[in-house]
Amino acid sequence: MPDAAQPFSNPLGLRGLLIVAWRLMWRDWRGGELRLLFFALVLAVTSVTGIALFTDRLERALMLESANMLAADRVLHTREPAPTEINAEAVNRGFRTASTLSFTSMAFSDNGNMLVAAKAVSDAYPLRGEVITTRRPFTRGAPVASGPPPGEVWLESRALPALGIEVGDQVFVGETELTVGAVIIAEPDRGQGGIVDNAGPRLMLHMDDVAATNVVQLGSRVSYRSLFAHDDFDRLDEFERWVRDTFDGNYYVRDVREESEEVAEALDRAEGYLLLGSLFAVLLAGLAIALSARRYSERHYDYVAILKTLGCTSGRISAIYLLIQLKLATVAVALGSALGYLVHEGILRALQASLQVDLPPPGAQPYAVGAMTAFICLLSFALPPLLALRETPPLRVLRKDLTQTRFSDRIPYAFGIGGGIFLIWWYSRDLVLTSLLVAGVAGAGLLLSLISLVFLTSSGSAGMKAGNAWKLAMTAVRRRRRQNVLQVMVFSVTIMSLLILGLLRTDLIADWQAQLPENTPNHFMMNITGAQVEGIETFFADNAVDSNAFYPLISARVRTINGSEPEPEGEPGEEERGASLVENNQFDAAPATDAAPGSGESAEAEGRRVRGRLSRRQVTWAVDLPPDNRVTAGEWWPENPRPGLVSVDEEYADWLNIEIGDTMEFEINQQFVSAEVANFRSVRWDNMQPNFFIIFSPGTIDHLGATFLSTVLLETEQKLLLNDLIRQFPTIVVVEVDALIEQIQNIISQVTSAIELIFALVLVAGALVLLACVSASLDERFHENAILRTLGAGRRLILTSLLIEFAFIGVVAGTIATLGAEGGLFYLQEWVFEQEFNLHYWVWIAGPALGTVLIACLGVNSTRKVVNTSPLTVLRRVV
Amino acid sequence: MIRTAGLTKRVPTSEGELTILEDVGLHIETGESVAIVGASGSGKSTLLGLMAGLDTATSGEIWLDGRKLSDMDEEQRALLRARAVGFVFQTFQLLPSLTALENVMLPIELKGDPGAGAKARKLLDRVGLSERWHHYPNQLSGGEQQRVAIARAFATRAGVLFADEPTGNLDTATGDKVIDILFELNREFDTTLVLVTHDARLARKCGRIVKLVAGRVASEEALADSGAEPAHA
Repeated sequence: MPDAAQPFSNPLGLRGLLIVAWRLMWRDWRGGELRLLFFALVLAVTSVTGIALFTDRLERALMLESANMLAADRVLHTREPAPTEINAEAVNRGFRTASTLSFTSMAFSDNGNMLVAAKAVSDAYPLRGEVITTRRPFTRGAPVASGPPPGEVWLESRALPALGIEVGDQVFVGETELTVGAVIIAEPDRGQGGIVDNAGPRLMLHMDDVAATNVVQLGSRVSYRSLFAHDDFDRLDEFERWVRDTFDGNYYVRDVREESEEVAEALDRAEGYLLLGSLFAVLLAGLAIALSARRYSERHYDYVAILKTLGCTSGRISAIYLLIQLKLATVAVALGSALGYLVHEGILRALQASLQVDLPPPGAQPYAVGAMTAFICLLSFALPPLLALRETPPLRVLRKDLTQTRFSDRIPYAFGIGGGIFLIWWYSRDLVLTSLLVAGVAGAGLLLSLISLVFLTSSGSAGMKAGNAWKLAMTAVRRRRRQNVLQVMVFSVTIMSLLILGLLRTDLIADWQAQLPENTPNHFMMNITGAQVEGIETFFADNAVDSNAFYPLISARVRTINGSEPEPEGEPGEEERGASLVENNQFDAAPATDAAPGSGESAEAEGRRVRGRLSRRQVTWAVDLPPDNRVTAGEWWPENPRPGLVSVDEEYADWLNIEIGDTMEFEINQQFVSAEVANFRSVRWDNMQPNFFIIFSPGTIDHLGATFLSTVLLETEQKLLLNDLIRQFPTIVVVEVDALIEQIQNIISQVTSAIELIFALVLVAGALVLLACVSASLDERFHENAILRTLGAGRRLILTSLLIEFAFIGVVAGTIATLGAEGGLFYLQEWVFEQEFNLHYWVWIAGPALGTVLIACLGVNSTRKVVNTSPLTVLRRVV
Repeated sequence: MIRTAGLTKRVPTSEGELTILEDVGLHIETGESVAIVGASGSGKSTLLGLMAGLDTATSGEIWLDGRKLSDMDEEQRALLRARAVGFVFQTFQLLPSLTALENVMLPIELKGDPGAGAKARKLLDRVGLSERWHHYPNQLSGGEQQRVAIARAFATRAGVLFADEPTGNLDTATGDKVIDILFELNREFDTTLVLVTHDARLARKCGRIVKLVAGRVASEEALADSGAEPAHA
């Protein structure tokens, strides 16, 4: 008899634990118990690693591609030469550097002259992208490594016939004579800059020749650009911060997003979508893990009871299952990472032609993200139900109905939700987005579970009603109400995720196509007098070119609002953003006097610019609401409006605290004009069309004298017409944005491809989750139907009842998913993607139909084995 | 070896508290074999669960192998079971994903003893399953499964063996064979046996019969001519 006072030592050491854990794991694996959980983990790692690898490489590629628009990764834009310390620091940090200087000038030859957009470049230009040149105008060219050497100029095609010269001829720029060395077909940063860079065909020369031209004098309108490139984006960001901090915010080094609102928005939305896609993929995988872990743990109650009877303590039970999960996760991470690589590589290969991007090699981070995701998923979705096993009472060996009661059933859900929230935050690193998403999902989840409970609670009576397939199915639905609510929720969430991503993808692509449709005008004509309007219309009509509306343009200053001086609200940064928008799209009468977006002005100058914006801006009048404008408050004026009304951009109105009905007084050409605010408009600033903050009703300012602005679409082969147009109307200024539009369209088409691919990946993940969810409920159905078969139920009766049961669950899930998808889309489009939300009526039919067909097919396919296997085998297999 | 005093078990139900065992006092000596009999619902299995440390009593005391179970928590009771207790159940309770050999090895490994494989094979040989060690439970007949369970129960050479209706799922002939093996091993390993059964024939193989009625010990009968003789009577 042992000493009663002697404490028990625990004999089972680590080795013993490992042996038991390994043996249980191996046997569970062979018996199929662990496969579902393992595949769910592999799925999580595969999809997350695949998407992370893909997005990582694609984002890098898109950033590189976008950087081509700048001819660099970062640009410092100034009106005066930038401090030399900046360039020295960049070189010191191992960056590649180059510089450009843009100005407008006349180019002269023996046969003619014309206004050109001159750009002097240093030897290293361009740092990103390529200059494409040729020997003859309007022909295909070949890339060259750098810009023109000293003594040479390169000209865009249409300048050569206008000047009556060929390659090899001489051309005067200012006081110096240079040789035409090549014809420029394309230039990476052609679309950048303001009027200075776009008011005519390009003339490119070497930086060393600028002094000899004697064109650039004190006070000349010039634009300096310092270009920086480095493969490490983090180091570029550090440099950006260094410049800002060292020069007290007087100089800003910017990337393509800050330089181009249109590209920034496309990239931001694409990234938002990719992030959403990754989130959905990982949350769907998490669901699969949670479902399979739950099934696994339910099947292990008896195991644990036996182990406890044999003397295994709760601590050891936890250790055994923890070890099993860790081993499983390690293998899943290795396999999932490899599969993730293959998946992303396979997709990239399949879409090589359409992607048109040279993808940089992947980094290690996506693999780390995939591995971390697996462990987080395991911790939050799988471990709680498995660790709850430790509380299984050993008495269960005698009484099967006993389960653990210490851990609430809700704890795994709480962990799952907590893990889900953490993953959303971890992926987005955005607390606000996380909070909004969580609040949205929580509300939707509660609503959806209530709806599904109502749907599934039918007024059935006792018994199985086994004589009729329909009744058999309906009583099964009712009997398994609790499990079915969970299953419907999972199906709903999965279908909802797919619908949201699918619809969002369609809407985003449609929105981008609407932003810059094929027929977007690519040339702006300014400084047009009223007398020239008719002549220009005739010119285009004679040349079979469609002309567009002519917008009157007058410079105006807001003097008072309701008799008081305007008091703008908000941070200067907000106004700065507004300013960028204006300068990108609103063409001031003297735009060259304003810096282009992102210019490195002093803080004081910036302040002056903000105040300048308040005091003077380009306004117009119009009968009709311009395209892509939407009245958000008040009403657009009627057909014959009275003079004295004004329409204001909603953000601008918000900034100035303007209300509908307020009276605004403007100073226009030294005269004061008052107008009543009739409506606010939302303006699509990224559509490369003339847009205005302030529009008057006709008759209000018409008498004050205005110039006109118009747009025209000219194909490449029609560009020569510009020479004739400028010859006929020499006072007008033509701004060429065709290169910029083409670049933006190119980037948009690439992000569209990216979005399509992510959607395809999530689609696969969703399909696998559906499979996992169906599998998770198979045991009970197998068992029940095996008993029915032993009692004489026919194959047809069982299959039909299964079909009806799954179809019913599918139609409920599909309906709920449709509701949730529309709600989710409303939220995402209004709050995250800033798009206009519209109901998708066809989805109200397609959603439930999709749910019905999908779940019915999956369910019947998974359970049909019950009629093909002997009932005894089924009954023996199910614990 | 086992002693209970004033053992009471009550469970809450929707209609109030239900008394399953009331003031049960028992004393089982080392090496003794005791059959607990009674009608369904008389509290036999509950008593077995309490004595084996699988459950806790509402009141009263239990001593097992010199230790007071009522002072121990579940972790300590588990360690005691690992060291001192073996089980045989009506439903066999083998782990379906482990082979017969692995099922028998499991308690040895859990106890941390070396040579689990060899010991388990020897025991399987002893119960007549030397050719079936690599089979899974669902590949074995009921009698074979129960023989594996018996081998497992003796694997750690536990001092006390609790058997809950060990022949309840077996036909008479198979049940007889299983019981013969059980008693043979019991004698061989000098184990205290506590057996819950409906089977009067089986009960009479034990040294003593304790009859429960409605949760109370109604009678105790010592059998001089039982099939199992206490090693240290």
